[in-house]
Amino acid sequence: MTRFQRWALALTVPAAVMAIGLYVFPILQVLALSFLEPKPGFGNYVSLFGNAAIGRVVRTTIIVSALTTAITVVLAYVVAFAIIQMPRGRRRLALFLVMVPFWISVLVRAFSWITILRRNGVLNTVLTQSGAISEPLDLVYNQFGVIVGMVHYMMPFAILLLVANLGDIDRRIIQAARSLGAQPATVFWRVWLPLSLPGLSIATLFTVIFSLGFLVTPAILGAGRVLMIAEYISVQISSTLRWGVATALSTLMLVAIGVLVAIAMRHPAMRAAFGGGRS
Amino acid sequence: MSPARRLLQIGAPKLLAWLLLAFLFVPILVVIPVSLTDRDYLSLPQDGISLSHYAALLDWRAGWLSSMATSLGIALAASFLATAVAAAYAIGAFVYVGRWPSLLRVVLLSPLIVPPIIYAVGMVKLWSRFGLLDSWIGVTIVHVMLAIPLAVLAIGASLSNLDPRMVQAARSLGARPPTIFLRVILPNLGSGIGAGAILAFITSWDEITVTLFITGRRIVTLPRRIWTSIADSVDPALAAIASALLLATLLALLVRLLFVERGGSPSR
Repeated sequence: MTRFQRWALALTVPAAVMAIGLYVFPILQVLALSFLEPKPGFGNYVSLFGNAAIGRVVRTTIIVSALTTAITVVLAYVVAFAIIQMPRGRRRLALFLVMVPFWISVLVRAFSWITILRRNGVLNTVLTQSGAISEPLDLVYNQFGVIVGMVHYMMPFAILLLVANLGDIDRRIIQAARSLGAQPATVFWRVWLPLSLPGLSIATLFTVIFSLGFLVTPAILGAGRVLMIAEYISVQISSTLRWGVATALSTLMLVAIGVLVAIAMRHPAMRAAFGGGRS
Repeated sequence: MSPARRLLQIGAPKLLAWLLLAFLFVPILVVIPVSLTDRDYLSLPQDGISLSHYAALLDWRAGWLSSMATSLGIALAASFLATAVAAAYAIGAFVYVGRWPSLLRVVLLSPLIVPPIIYAVGMVKLWSRFGLLDSWIGVTIVHVMLAIPLAVLAIGASLSNLDPRMVQAARSLGARPPTIFLRVILPNLGSGIGAGAILAFITSWDEITVTLFITGRRIVTLPRRIWTSIADSVDPALAAIASALLLATLLALLVRLLFVERGGSPSR
């Protein structure tokens, strides 16, 4: 190793020390505590699987995450597909409309949805005053409100990922299909969609992972009635202090996410998209 | 194909796309009229508009100003530290290509994937052992760790545009390593370091999930105060602070759109 390279290696030391001591270690400690607290063994995991309340929380998390992901990815694809075909000026406007919610604090967005969806909120007021409905609708503090808020949170991410990926598709392939006489529908279903699969997989992966671990939006828009894993963990560590349960659930969540990432990484297109110049 | 059908096939998806863009953008704007309400509960203005909720924000005793100062201080410190650590790492990994730096890169970027609630569980345990719960240093360190990934990505992107022959030229001309790092590589990373610092600042300024569990009465960041007041009451002052944050974001993005991005690529 040359002197120059030793210097370079030394530059990575502060990051390494901090990452190991202040990120990796605390997370490993979570994994360890799940087997040690309150007493050593697999007791926490056994009780997780026997507990009806936790079963309900896990089910809610899976249902909400699956619905959020399906809706987000389909809608984001519609938007991204339109954006990459827009002329420059319109595309900049469209991306601006995506970037504003992307950068706004998640709390501000959850608060906006509360303001709109509450029983005496903006939407119910407008609908009752216009005579469309006679009774205010229950739009928030239930699964519907949580999913609206989560789709709204995830869509900008998914759109930006998809725009970056769809933008890389070679347009000459599309032109070739057209010039060979394919109908627009055929071009879309047989050419565009298969070529979009890597982008769609990445958007799906990120949306699933974010949804599974999401705390803020479900907590605010669900108000305790739509209890997901992250909120359940937060209750365990801040009020009931059941560290064993909290760390065991955290471990399961981490393992689930690890498995998802590992499956995704087996696909060469996915590896290319992650390792590609845009990441 | 009939023109009507063609219009439907091409026009309908486009129309749907613009409707979805409206779904993303318009709901956020609702906080602006609500912040101007003349009532003291969350509602649209009834008999005229009022700025009283903005005035309430500026009252020091309401706590919004001190929370803003807290968040600003922590975000500036976290952004500075995260950018410095990320820049040192990125430059080191650029020069020393190998297994170790790329493994470290995965670890440094993992906060982007690992749910913050899991990190929160770990840090509550760690900080309670060191007595750093609800302390400036405890919050700042957590924010640094969460801000490093975006800083690494931003600085790494600008390093990948750096011509390695420049470093080779400096070395063959006999420059010492510190000279190469500080006077050859660093000056070429201005835009990446700037972008990294801004992203790190925003990460810290917005951080809520971990902060919620490692702070208490003493350190009340702005997101934490917003969180508590959403949970406690529905006060129009909340709409005023949300509008202020929204306007700042809109302004920053407009400036970027009009001045920075001209001729740039359409994707981020």
